[in-house]
Amino acid sequence: MAVAFSAARMWRRSRGLGPAALLLLRRPGTRGVTTSHPCRQQQQFSSLDDKPQFPGASAEFVDKLDFIQPNVISGIPIYRVMDRQGQIINPSEDPHLPQEEVLKFYRSMTLLNTMDRILYESQRQGRISFYMTNYGEEGTHVGSAAALDSTDLVFGQYREAGVLMYREYPLELFMAQCYGNMSDPGKGRQMPVHYGCKERHFVTISSPLATQIPQAVGAAYAAKRANANQVVICYFGEGAASEGDAHAGFNFAATLECPIIFFCRNNGYAISTPTSEQYRGDGIAARGPGYGIMSIRVDGNDVFAVYNATKEARRRAVAENQPFLIEAMTYRIGHHSTSDDSSAYRSVDEVNYWDKQDHPISRLRHHLLSRGWWDEEQERAWRKQSRKKVMEAFEQAERKLKPNPNLLFSDVYQEMPARLRKQQEALARHLQAYGEHYPLDHFDK
Amino acid sequence: MNLFQAVTSALDNSLATDPTAVIFGEDVAFGGVFRCTVGLRDKYGKDRVFNTPLCEQGIVGFGIGIAVAGATAIAEIQFADYIFPAFDQIVNEAAKYRYRSGDLFNCGRLTIRAPWGCVGHGALYHSQCPEAFFAHCPGIKVVIPRSPFQAKGLLLSCIQDKNPCIFFEPKILYRAAVEQVPVEPYNIPLSQAEVLQEGSDVTLVAWGTQVHVIREVASMAREKLGVSCEVIDLRTIIPWDVDTVCKSVVKTGRLLISHEAPLTGGFASEISSTVQEECFLNLEAPISRVCGYDTPFPHIFEPFYIPDKWKCYDALRKMINY
Repeated sequence: MAVAFSAARMWRRSRGLGPAALLLLRRPGTRGVTTSHPCRQQQQFSSLDDKPQFPGASAEFVDKLDFIQPNVISGIPIYRVMDRQGQIINPSEDPHLPQEEVLKFYRSMTLLNTMDRILYESQRQGRISFYMTNYGEEGTHVGSAAALDSTDLVFGQYREAGVLMYREYPLELFMAQCYGNMSDPGKGRQMPVHYGCKERHFVTISSPLATQIPQAVGAAYAAKRANANQVVICYFGEGAASEGDAHAGFNFAATLECPIIFFCRNNGYAISTPTSEQYRGDGIAARGPGYGIMSIRVDGNDVFAVYNATKEARRRAVAENQPFLIEAMTYRIGHHSTSDDSSAYRSVDEVNYWDKQDHPISRLRHHLLSRGWWDEEQERAWRKQSRKKVMEAFEQAERKLKPNPNLLFSDVYQEMPARLRKQQEALARHLQAYGEHYPLDHFDK
Repeated sequence: MNLFQAVTSALDNSLATDPTAVIFGEDVAFGGVFRCTVGLRDKYGKDRVFNTPLCEQGIVGFGIGIAVAGATAIAEIQFADYIFPAFDQIVNEAAKYRYRSGDLFNCGRLTIRAPWGCVGHGALYHSQCPEAFFAHCPGIKVVIPRSPFQAKGLLLSCIQDKNPCIFFEPKILYRAAVEQVPVEPYNIPLSQAEVLQEGSDVTLVAWGTQVHVIREVASMAREKLGVSCEVIDLRTIIPWDVDTVCKSVVKTGRLLISHEAPLTGGFASEISSTVQEECFLNLEAPISRVCGYDTPFPHIFEPFYIPDKWKCYDALRKMINY
């Protein structure tokens, strides 16, 4: 195949550059179509006209020097539907959900809480390697999940197990992933709580924070192009919102007009870092308008407020192809993870306040009780039943073998490269000779 | 076609045959700073060929999301030198998506393209060859063409491959390299090196622009030294074609690898290490690497920095006389 070089003399010297400058040739007149932006008008150029002509901002001139004071004293208000006793404050905001649905909220949140207690304990006992609880944030998960279609794609961070719980992910599979046993659809590859479920449209969790944010935007763009009438929801914490990927995701979602809900769980801490050290502005909701994004702050411990906001955001995101930002204020009652002891950086009193006085589960229970949709007897029976379900799944998960070690090597690529197959064979031979030093008895043959 | 036109042709074919395919990145809408996307927005629409904000981590993250959703994502990074903000998304996310999810999810439909390599005056930030950083990352493929015909076939294979791919385009060849390229789509397989010229005394391995340098060195060796060189274009950096290279070295007994990227930790180290493992008793001389120096890529000193034909020739001569 003859390759003709137009600057053949290039090769006579030692590969210096010919006259062609290939860098960044911005020729005037080769710009493509002008971008159509809904709020920018075509400026008529005229020397008599004193209005600003800058392409970068649509604003008037001002002749007084004044810096904008960021409004942090009274920030964006927090939308709520119920008071702390579970009473609807403004009846017109009551979502009027049927009893069965609200009971499903309650059961999802409490089952999650029960599972969290047992699995946290199982880590302390050395049965699983790691765990993260969802204490205090159950309302953010269930309220938002309930407002979505079951086929809406979910990108999470790591503290959204209630979304999967609401979508009826079996306890067996939560446990399988935490134990990394052979029933784990993730094939035992990741640390506990890194769930994923294709059938329930829950993208597998990854540890790096905020990486899911621009990914969720891309998925939303694809859904828009496919006319899927689908929204993508992307969960992240207030700490992850400091990452560059968050900025990237917000900006892309707005400029590319994507049907996405950004759902920030502002729970007060990123491991030990309080919000006062995470940001200096008015939380995450205040950033939305900076990107041109519709934004709201809600009481994350009020499952109906979360529901209403997500429902409306979903409706409009799909109808109008624009992003919505919901900042759900809540509190992380548990430690960051089993590797954390939060008494090192916050008082027990502070934690107790949230556990006892402002908990999404208690608030919903009060609401249910006051409507006559629940009572103490049902509570007792449900606690017993849910504990039994969790314990059964737990015991089963304990007993199962881990996956075959061959699964260490698959899925790196869709097809296994020859070199990797050789490595797989090398391990097999190694185990034949040295197998006694490896925990092969716990693994599927 | 020249190389950028070959790229445009591959992109055109892809958008024509795959209705989910979209192209995005900085400045791609008007045709791109290297003209690779000229005409595509007019032909396929602004929802399929569009600019993104100036943010590489966003471009790649966004592309991953499109691919996860089942559509074909072709992302452009304006210069390979600027791929680093996206390193986390590439290495921690794209490369690991299928593995970590147990094959429940993947982003195989993602291809990232970036201009690559020295251009005569690019200096530190318009000349880099970062393939070695990515070679260390299981789960992605890295592909580098040497010519327009190769570029189109390899790019189409990357786009159709079921794994996330990075396609580096030698920018110095965008206009300089011209050859016959079919208008219809065709594929060149990935992970297959190509023996351009058979020989018996020395194996020369390179990729991208440097392939032309070693071809010339092969001619010089024949004329001045009576030495017969086997010239190999590696084409895919990972997963790389170990068999073709080793088979050649078993025959010749001598290996010279050359790349613009700095010597230490450059991809020649991996090739050298593997070949000495597989072909130790066949080697007549130490494996030779002729690479850029361990410096950032300089501006005014470029003629001295690059692993030109004289340096390669000199190294070859020493190998023959070992």
